[in-house]
Amino acid sequence: MSEFAATSAIAQGLQGCPICTSVGPAEKTHCDGCGAKLHSGWENSIQQTWAWLITSVMLYIPANFLPITYSRFLGKETESTILGGVVTLWEHGDKPIALVIFVASVLVPLGKIIVLGWMCISVQIGSKFALTQKTKLYRVTEFVGRWSMIDVFVVGILVALIQVGNIMTVRPGVAAVAFAAMVVTTMLAALAFDPRLLWAPVNKDNKQ
Amino acid sequence: MVCHECDLLIGVPGLDVGQKAYCPRCNFLLAANRPHALKMVFVFAICGFGFLLLSTAFPFLGFSASGQERTVTLMQSITILVSEDLPSLAAIIFISIVLIPGAFLLGAIYVSTALKMNRLLPGTVTVLRWVLMLMPWSMAEIFLIGILVSFVKIVTLADVSFGMSFWAYVLFTVCMTVVMLYPDKRQLWNRVRSLSDE
Repeated sequence: MSEFAATSAIAQGLQGCPICTSVGPAEKTHCDGCGAKLHSGWENSIQQTWAWLITSVMLYIPANFLPITYSRFLGKETESTILGGVVTLWEHGDKPIALVIFVASVLVPLGKIIVLGWMCISVQIGSKFALTQKTKLYRVTEFVGRWSMIDVFVVGILVALIQVGNIMTVRPGVAAVAFAAMVVTTMLAALAFDPRLLWAPVNKDNKQ
Repeated sequence: MVCHECDLLIGVPGLDVGQKAYCPRCNFLLAANRPHALKMVFVFAICGFGFLLLSTAFPFLGFSASGQERTVTLMQSITILVSEDLPSLAAIIFISIVLIPGAFLLGAIYVSTALKMNRLLPGTVTVLRWVLMLMPWSMAEIFLIGILVSFVKIVTLADVSFGMSFWAYVLFTVCMTVVMLYPDKRQLWNRVRSLSDE
């Protein structure tokens, strides 16, 4: 391992560029090789992550409790929320699809907010617990976040297709906008978070 | 290079075709030398862009219930949200399924053309940087799953038919996935740098 200089870049005053993979001084905010914004370009990574996370939580509430669609069927209008839609699908026997929607629209955003919050706290208290697993968890979080957009697209398609005058019409609700905005803010929270900070306590020990 | 995930500083040797390099600390894929990477990106980016154009030109989905039929194009399905007083929702959907993927593919065509010609075209570095930054914001494959879910939701109420443009969008998504997965960042930038040194 030692012949590969197996220590963290930050411990040697260096950092890598996520866009072009070149290595440069850690204090640079933009990459010398390609000009991309680097992790150190995000000032106060933890604070920014918290800010996006709090915004996400504030959007998560209306997204889940306000109606995401209004459907009118033979003159009778019904509202449905995200969870209501899942329950309806489940009762109609489309259990796998109900599960997909439940995971993508309810569990993933919530899980993402909790995981990122936990990581921010563990950086702030300098925890050395399960760093490799946490790093992997961050990678998963960063990757699955986009998939929550499924429900937004479903609403878009239903609204576009089901427009048969008074017989059957579907209109979008405000929750759809809140939900889409929440997916974007959780993605930004993941982007603002600097996973290298998780390893900072270990690197400090190595230096001593 | 430095591991994107765990910040391990590590020397990665030049890879032969077909080889991959993983981080010894966190097992993240650091670099990969896939066969014909540049050719694949060039071809699939052009095809993908063509399919994206086609997918906006013809009926996308059809819907029939109680003797009434309705077909919508991809663009109509977005403009209808504007007329439903939710232009912000329309904008988010349009940007993530048409605008960003389109810009991504045009950028990929531009960069791979430059590299194939073995010279830098104006702004190659900037374009390549933007292409790599846009990648996670393109949601074509997620949109397809969304269509599938909607299909299951509607199928008990009415008949849904898939138009020409739908199939074009499916093919576009396949091409898009190849373009996103195939190239290796380090390899691309090494090519760009060696060209700019000349």
